[in-house]
Amino acid sequence: MLSWEFPPRTVGGIAAHLFYLSRELVKLGVDTYIVTCDFPGAPEREVVNGAHVVRVDSYKTPSPDFATWDSLMNVNMQKETATVISNLGRQVDIIHAHDWLVANAALGLKHVFRIPLVATIHSTEIGRRNGLHTDYERMIHQTENWLAHESWRIICCSRYMSDHVKWAYGLPQDRVRIIPNGVDASVYEKAFDRAEFRRKFALSEEKIVLYVGRLVYEKGVQTLVSAIPKILSRVNAKFVVVGDGGMKETLIRQVANMRLTHKTVFTGFLDEESLRKLYQVAEVCVVPSLYEPFGITALEAMAAKTPLVVSNTGGLSEIVEHDKTGTKVYAGNVDSVAWGITRILLDPGYASWIKLNAYQKALEVYDWAKIAKETKEFYERVLKEYDSGSWKPT
Amino acid sequence: MRVIIFTWEFPPRIVGPLAYYVNKLAVELIKKSVDTYVVTYHSSWVGSHQGADGIKAYRISDAVRPQINILTWMLSLNQEAERVAADIYYSVKHEVNLIDVHDWHFIPAAVTLKRALGIPFVFSVDSIEPHRSRNSSAPLSLSIRSIESFGVSEAMRAIVKSEWMRQELKHYYNAPEDMIETVSPESEAWIDGILATYEKGPRVFVS
Repeated sequence: MLSWEFPPRTVGGIAAHLFYLSRELVKLGVDTYIVTCDFPGAPEREVVNGAHVVRVDSYKTPSPDFATWDSLMNVNMQKETATVISNLGRQVDIIHAHDWLVANAALGLKHVFRIPLVATIHSTEIGRRNGLHTDYERMIHQTENWLAHESWRIICCSRYMSDHVKWAYGLPQDRVRIIPNGVDASVYEKAFDRAEFRRKFALSEEKIVLYVGRLVYEKGVQTLVSAIPKILSRVNAKFVVVGDGGMKETLIRQVANMRLTHKTVFTGFLDEESLRKLYQVAEVCVVPSLYEPFGITALEAMAAKTPLVVSNTGGLSEIVEHDKTGTKVYAGNVDSVAWGITRILLDPGYASWIKLNAYQKALEVYDWAKIAKETKEFYERVLKEYDSGSWKPT
Repeated sequence: MRVIIFTWEFPPRIVGPLAYYVNKLAVELIKKSVDTYVVTYHSSWVGSHQGADGIKAYRISDAVRPQINILTWMLSLNQEAERVAADIYYSVKHEVNLIDVHDWHFIPAAVTLKRALGIPFVFSVDSIEPHRSRNSSAPLSLSIRSIESFGVSEAMRAIVKSEWMRQELKHYYNAPEDMIETVSPESEAWIDGILATYEKGPRVFVS
């Protein structure tokens, strides 16, 4: 598998995705190698839960911009992966790429070794940017398009993404397989002093409303912040915003202008341990995204038994069934978001019903072992087609 | 002997004198019974073509358009160069002796093919980035330099056209003396010098 991030290098959701997927694939007997970018302090080679991790020099010479850096990083990634595959006597069955960031490396390797390439498309440029406005964005879009068309088959994490990817790149129906993201519920089972931890964020009479995510427009955090006065008029609450991003200063100023600084906490980037605890002490978790290919935060809340409010968009619509596993609100609609949050905070019976249903669903549907099994079957189907074709070298 | 030449310019695509030089090289190699393939770029004239002169030219084109700079452009084209070179390799039962890369543009592809399929490559130097950019330290220029440096460290041999360029290659990229061959295109023994370099094989390190 090729990915530009793998723990401890964590930029977005792909790192965690690979961590769990590789762990479970190894358990199913899939000999898994992960080639990824280096990270200060992380070894060049190590075995993580049975998966071989190879970290490549991620190119440190100054480069003009992010996309150019990525192309140069791919030169190193391709070179090192070619060496890994050669050293394995070419006994590699599948190359699995994650997003456009490793497209160049993966595409070349596919042809040079004639090993089938598959890709998981976690998000798209046209979705992230809500359209294509510059040559920079168009180039990334076309790179994704190239990867999509060169891949034997594609994995998307939700029906929404599958439809979106088919539309964005004009792919036929049978090229895309939906395999969801997963969540590890066991990490929320550790005992800790809840009252003590909770005090760091809120008074005992305040309900905690939790937001977790990058502070960028597409995540809709501004909708939540605008809804704060409406919620406070009905119920006493503290709004805890976890994450960083370009909108942070604007949001803090907005809160100050509303004279509500004492009702909010901007934690910035939070360590994993604290975040897990925070999910467990919060009365409600809100995912107000305007664009959301999947919605990993929602899964985390479900696994942590935190009642959920999500906007009815993208992958979130599929994860949450309204009034069963969460409350759905209209994306970008302040009144609707305020209504959803207030309802959960004022009705403990309802909150308890949805959070337990959600927890059950997290265990049954979003289980990494099950996801790895589906991924292995996906690989096997590709291999079967490959074996019966003429492209395979003799 | 079977050789694949990588060049970003080849008639009818002519950027500078390199296109004519590579064309002449391919013609002369064929006269010396070298099975010669040229993998090159053209924006619209794409595919394989064998002319009366016996050159088997494979023209790749852009899989990704638009591009934001020459680096993202070239680095995405490298994947197409790899695809075509690998197709040649598999069609001739894995018998490709050497890749001859002209200037930096397809160095990454040559390195991958070397590591993956064990095909060594020669780095033929027509010009280098410090000269073209007048020693610019702009990030784009430094990145191209890093690819030239990569070529020097991974190539079996470097072929330069003058003693001056030999010194420049040593100066800018610490190229070891014994990896550089000077073969002047003006000299009568030019093609024999090229062939002799092809046949030399990798340098042997004696400790």
